[in-house]
Amino acid sequence: MYVGAIFFPLLGACLAGFFGRWLGDRASMWVTVACMALAAACGLGAFVEVALNGLPGVVPIVTFIDVGGFEVSWALRYDTLSVVMVAMVTFISTLIHIYSVGYMSHDATVPRFFAYLSLFTFMMLMLVTADNLVQLFFGWEGVGLASYLLIGYWYEKESANRAAMKAFIVNRVGDLFFMLGLALTFWTFQSVEFAAIFAGVEAARGVTFLGMPALEVIGVLLFLGACGKSAQLGLHTWLPDAMEGPTPVSALIHAATMVTAGVFLMARMSPVMEYAPLALAIVTVVGATTAFVAATIGCVQNDIKRVIAYSTMSQLGYMFFAAGVGVYQAAIFHLFTHAFFKALLFLGAGSVIHAMSDEQDIRRMGGIWRKIPITYAMMWIGSLALAGVPFFAGYYSKDMVLEVAYAAHSGVGSYAFLMGLLAAFLTAFYSWRLIILTFHGAPRADHHVMEHVHESPPVMLIPLLVLAAGAVVTGFLFYPLFVGAQQEPFWNGAIYTAAHNHVLHDAHEVPAWVPLAPTVVGLAGIALAYALYMFAPGIPGQLAARFDGLYRFLLNKWYFDELYDAIFVRPAQYLARAFWKTGDARLIDGVPNGAADLAVQAARGAVRIQTGRVANYAFAMIIGLVLFVSLLLYGAR
Amino acid sequence: MPAMGMTTAMGDTTEMMAVGLGHYLTVSAILLTLGVLGIFLNRKNVIVILMSVELILLSVTLNLVAFSATLGDLTGQVFAMLILTVAAAEAAIGLAIVVIYFRNRGTIEVEEISTLKG
Amino acid sequence: MLNWTLALPEIVLGVSGLFILLGGVIPKKESFFPVSMAVIGALILAAVLVLGQGEGTAFLGQYVADNFSRFAKVLILLGAALGLLLALDFNEKAGLGRFEYPVLMLFATLGMMVMVSANDLMSLYIGLELLSLSLYVIAAFDRDNPRSAEAGLKYFVLGALASGLLLYGASLVYGFAGTTNFDRLADALSGDDVGTGVVVGLVFVLAGLAFKVSAVPFHMWTPDVYEGAPTPVTAFFATAPKVAAIALLMHVLIGPFGDLSAQWMQVIWVCSAGSMILGAFAAIGQRNIKRLMAYSSIGHVGYALMGLAVANDTGYRGVLVYMAIYVVMNLGTFAVLIAMRRRGRALEQVEDLAGLGKTDPAMALWMAVFMFSMAGIPPLAGFFGKLYVFLAAVQGGFWTLAVIGIVTSVIASYYYLRIVKVMYFDAAPDGALDARPASLTVVMASTGLLTLLFFLFPAALIGAAQVAVASLAG
Repeated sequence: MYVGAIFFPLLGACLAGFFGRWLGDRASMWVTVACMALAAACGLGAFVEVALNGLPGVVPIVTFIDVGGFEVSWALRYDTLSVVMVAMVTFISTLIHIYSVGYMSHDATVPRFFAYLSLFTFMMLMLVTADNLVQLFFGWEGVGLASYLLIGYWYEKESANRAAMKAFIVNRVGDLFFMLGLALTFWTFQSVEFAAIFAGVEAARGVTFLGMPALEVIGVLLFLGACGKSAQLGLHTWLPDAMEGPTPVSALIHAATMVTAGVFLMARMSPVMEYAPLALAIVTVVGATTAFVAATIGCVQNDIKRVIAYSTMSQLGYMFFAAGVGVYQAAIFHLFTHAFFKALLFLGAGSVIHAMSDEQDIRRMGGIWRKIPITYAMMWIGSLALAGVPFFAGYYSKDMVLEVAYAAHSGVGSYAFLMGLLAAFLTAFYSWRLIILTFHGAPRADHHVMEHVHESPPVMLIPLLVLAAGAVVTGFLFYPLFVGAQQEPFWNGAIYTAAHNHVLHDAHEVPAWVPLAPTVVGLAGIALAYALYMFAPGIPGQLAARFDGLYRFLLNKWYFDELYDAIFVRPAQYLARAFWKTGDARLIDGVPNGAADLAVQAARGAVRIQTGRVANYAFAMIIGLVLFVSLLLYGAR
Repeated sequence: MPAMGMTTAMGDTTEMMAVGLGHYLTVSAILLTLGVLGIFLNRKNVIVILMSVELILLSVTLNLVAFSATLGDLTGQVFAMLILTVAAAEAAIGLAIVVIYFRNRGTIEVEEISTLKG
Repeated sequence: MLNWTLALPEIVLGVSGLFILLGGVIPKKESFFPVSMAVIGALILAAVLVLGQGEGTAFLGQYVADNFSRFAKVLILLGAALGLLLALDFNEKAGLGRFEYPVLMLFATLGMMVMVSANDLMSLYIGLELLSLSLYVIAAFDRDNPRSAEAGLKYFVLGALASGLLLYGASLVYGFAGTTNFDRLADALSGDDVGTGVVVGLVFVLAGLAFKVSAVPFHMWTPDVYEGAPTPVTAFFATAPKVAAIALLMHVLIGPFGDLSAQWMQVIWVCSAGSMILGAFAAIGQRNIKRLMAYSSIGHVGYALMGLAVANDTGYRGVLVYMAIYVVMNLGTFAVLIAMRRRGRALEQVEDLAGLGKTDPAMALWMAVFMFSMAGIPPLAGFFGKLYVFLAAVQGGFWTLAVIGIVTSVIASYYYLRIVKVMYFDAAPDGALDARPASLTVVMASTGLLTLLFFLFPAALIGAAQVAVASLAG
C-alpha cells in the first residue's frame, strides 16, 4: 500500500507515455486515471494507518549509492507530515486527471499530456516521501522538469515556450541555493539522511561556517531554494507566466501541489529551522511581504487565471510566515485546505474558459451566471473559502495563520499579522471582483461566443463538486487534528517544536478581536467589491484614472520584470567585458532574469579569443606555460 | 648523485671555461625558444613551422644527450634515438598534411589558415 | 624481467593491425567494410585479453598492467569500437570508405593502450606519438575538403608543439632526477627539497598532457579541429583519446609526481576552473553543433579535472566515473549528429535539428536524454558524474571550485536545453532527415539506455573505479 501510492502514478505515466500510441487516446486517458485512483486509495489508506492510527514507518526500496563515505538509500518515509501530503496529492491529482479527461478531450496528443501529469504526480510523491535530502532533491528537480514540460505543453505557442524556459531558469536559480544548502548540510552533519540530521541538530548548534552559525546558513539557503519553487517575492516572476500551460496543470502544479513544496521543505526541516531564529525571521518577513504584494497585484489583473495565480502566491506567503513564526502545523493546515479550494477555483476558471470558447480576459466576460449555474456556484464556494468566510475551509486555516502571527509577540510576527490582515481584505476584494466581472453585468463578449456558452460535461463537473465539498468541510473536520487539541498525537513528532516555542499554544488564547478580524476585513472586502463593480461600475474606471500612477504600478506587477531588466540585464551588458576579464562567475548567482544576456555577452568575449590563427593558439599555450611555471615557482614557496 | 654531477659541471664552467652541462642546457634552451618563437612569430610559411618543430625536438635531443653524458647513464641516449625516429615519422606526416592543404587551398601562408574560428 | 605476456593485448592488437594492413593493401573493390569489421573484431579480442590480463610490470619496468590500466583500457576499447561503428555508414556516403581509416583507428587505440600502461617517460612518449600521428592523419582524412585539411594542419602544428614541450619537460625531469622510470622517479622525488629543474620539467610535461585533454589554456585547437574534421573523426576525438589522456595524466601525476601534489594541484585547479568557465560560456553562441560539442567537451574535462585537483582517492574515483559516463554520453550524442543527413547531405548546424521531435521522435528522445544528462539533470547518468566530483571537491574543502562548477553547469544547461527546445518546439525547415542506418540506431539506443538507467545500478561502475583507484594510489 505504501509503495503503491507512490508507484501507481509512475506506472500510469509509463503506460501512457510509452504505449500511448498503441493504446489510443481514450485507453491511455483511463489507464492513467485508474492508476491515479488506485494511488489515491493507497494514499488514503496510508493516511488512516499512519496519521490516524499513529503508525509511522520507513519503507526501504533500494540502496541507491553505497560506495565510499556517501551513502544514500532510497526509502519512503511515512510519517504524518508526508502522509498528509501523499493523501492530498494523490486525491487531488486523481480529481484533476478526471477533469482533464473532459478538458483535454479535443487535444491532439492526449497520451503525452496524461503521461506528463502522472509523471509529475510521481515526482511530487517522491519529493514528499523522501527519506533524505538527496532523494528530496531528486523529486524537487523532477517536479521542476515535469512543470517545464507541462507549461510548454502547447509548444506551438511562442509565449508558452518562453514561459517554460523562464520557469525553468528561475527555478534553477532557486535550485542553486538548495544545492548549496544540501552541500552545507552534508558538511555539517556528515549525512543527508533526515534521521541522522535531526539527531545531530543539538550537536551542530555550535558549528559555524565562515563565522556564521551553520544552522542559520542552512536555513537561509534552503529557504532561498524554497523561494524558487514556491514563488516567493524575488523569484516569483515565473508563476504568473506559467499560466500559459493548460488549466488542469495550473490547478495541479501551480496551485495545489508543486508550489507548496517549499512550505513542505520548511516543515520537513523544522528540527533545523527551530534553531535558526534569524532564518525564520527572514522567512516571516519575505512570506508576509509576498502575501501583501501579490494581493495588491491580484486586484488589477484582468486575466482570470493570472488573478488566481497571484492569489496562490499570496496564500503561499501566508503559509511561509506561519512557518516563519514557528507554527509549521498551521502552515501545513493552510496548505492542505488551500489545495482544495485553489484547485476548485482553477478548475472552475477552466470551466469558465471552456464555456467562453477559450477567452481568458474577464473584461470580455460577464452576464453568464444563468447559463453555467453549477460552475458559478462552485466559484462562489471556492471564493468564500479563499476569503476566509466563516465555516468554510479557508476560514479555519487562515484564522489560525493570523492568530499564530499575532501570538508570536515579536516584531516580525506583528508585521506578518498586519500584512496578513491587509492581504485578507484585498483577497476578498479581488475574489469578488473576479466573480462579478466574470458572471454578472451585461455580457461583454460578442454574441457568437455568448451563443456557445454551455455548462461543462459531467466528467468535469464531478471533480468540481468533490473539491467543493472539500473546500467546505476540510476546515472544521481537520482543525482539531492539525492545529487543535489533538495536534500532538496527530503529528506524532513529524513536526518538531522546540521547547522554547509556545506560539501554537498561545495562539489559542489571543484576544477575542483577533480571530474576528480576518472575517470582518474579508466581509468588508466583499462589500467593497460589490459596491464598486456591481452597484457603481463607473467608479473603478474613475479611480484608475485618478490614481493613474498607482494603477499602473499594480498593473505592471510592481515593475518586477522591468526592475530586473534595469538592475540586472542592462548593467550586466555594460559590465560584461570587465566581467569576462576578471573571470568572476559569481555575479551570475543572483541574476535570475539577466543571466542569459550576461552569459551571451561573456560568450562573445570567450569566442573572440578563438581567432582561428595557429600563431595565437601557440601563443596562448606558451602564456599558459609561463603562467604555470611562475605559479609554481613563486606561488608554492 | 645527479645534483652533485651538476654542481661539478657548473663549477667547471666558471673557472676553466670548459664546455659543461650548463652550456649544453643553455644552448638547448635557446634552441627551444627559437623553435617556439618560430611557430608563433612566423607569418609566412608553414614549412618554417615544420622546421621550428624539428628545432624543438633537436633541443630536446641535445638536452638528453648532455644529461646522459653527465649522469653516466645510457637511458638518455636511448631516449634520444627514439625521438629521432619518431621525429622522422612526424616530419613525413606533417609534410603530407601540408601537401593536402596546398592542393585544397593553393597556398600555405600561415595567415590564411584561419577559416575555422569563433 | 621481460614478462611480455602482460602486454599480450597490445601485442595481439599490434600484430593484427599489421596483418589487417597487409590484407588491406591487396587490391580489391570493397575493402573498407571488411577491414572495419576485422578491426572491430581485433578491438573486442583485445578487450577480452585486457579483462583476463594479469598484474605487474613488464619490459624492465617500461610497462605496467594493473586495475587502473585495465579500467582505462576497457573504456578506450569500447569507445574506439563504437567510434568505428559510427563511421561505417558515414564514411561510405562521404566517399571516405578507405581501408586506412579503420587501420589508423586501430593504431591510435594501440597508442592509447600503451599510454595508459606506460611506466616510463619513454613508453609514455611512444604511446603518445603513436596516438598523435594517427590522429593527425585521420583529422585530415577528408583530404579533398579544405576544412578537414585545415583541421589536420592546425592539429598537427599545435600537437607537435605540445609534444615538443612535453619532451623538453621529460628531458629536464630525466636530467634533474636521474631516471625516466616512474617508480624510481617517485623515489627520487619523495624528499622534501625538490629542485627547480624538476618542477619546471613537471610543468612542461603537464602542458603537453593538458593539450591532449584540451584543458584551458591548451584547448585552443579543440573547436577548430572538431569543426573541420569529418564528424565520425570528431566523435572519436571526443571520446577514447580523452579517456586515455586523462588516465595518463592521472597516472603521471599520482605515480612519479605524487609527492609534488602540493605543486601540481594548483595548476590543475586553474586548468579545471578555466575549462569549466570557458566551456560554459563559449558554447552559448555556437551555431555549428560540432563546435558546440567541442566547447562542451572542454567544459566536461574541467569537471573531470576538478576531481584530480582534489588529489585524494575520492576525487580520483570521481574522475574515472566522470570519464566513463562522459564517453557513453558523447558517443550517443555523436551518433545523433552523424545521423543528421538530409537528402544525402550531412548537416551540422543546430537549426538543422529543428522539428526532430515530430519527424523522428525516437532519435529526438535519445538526443534529449543525452542533452539532459550533459546538463546534469537527475536521475540521468551525467548527474552522477558531476555528483561524485562535486562531492569530492566539497569534502576536500575546495569550495570555490565546487561553486564555480555548480554555476557553470547551470549556465551550460542553457545551451543543452536550447538543443532540446530546437528539436521539440521549432518548426522543421524542410522535411525529415534521411533514414538512419542500423549501426547508428544500435549505438544511440545502447548508450541512451546506459545513460537513462545508470541510476539503477551505479554500484558496478563506482566499484570498478574504486578498485582502479586503489591500485593506482597503492
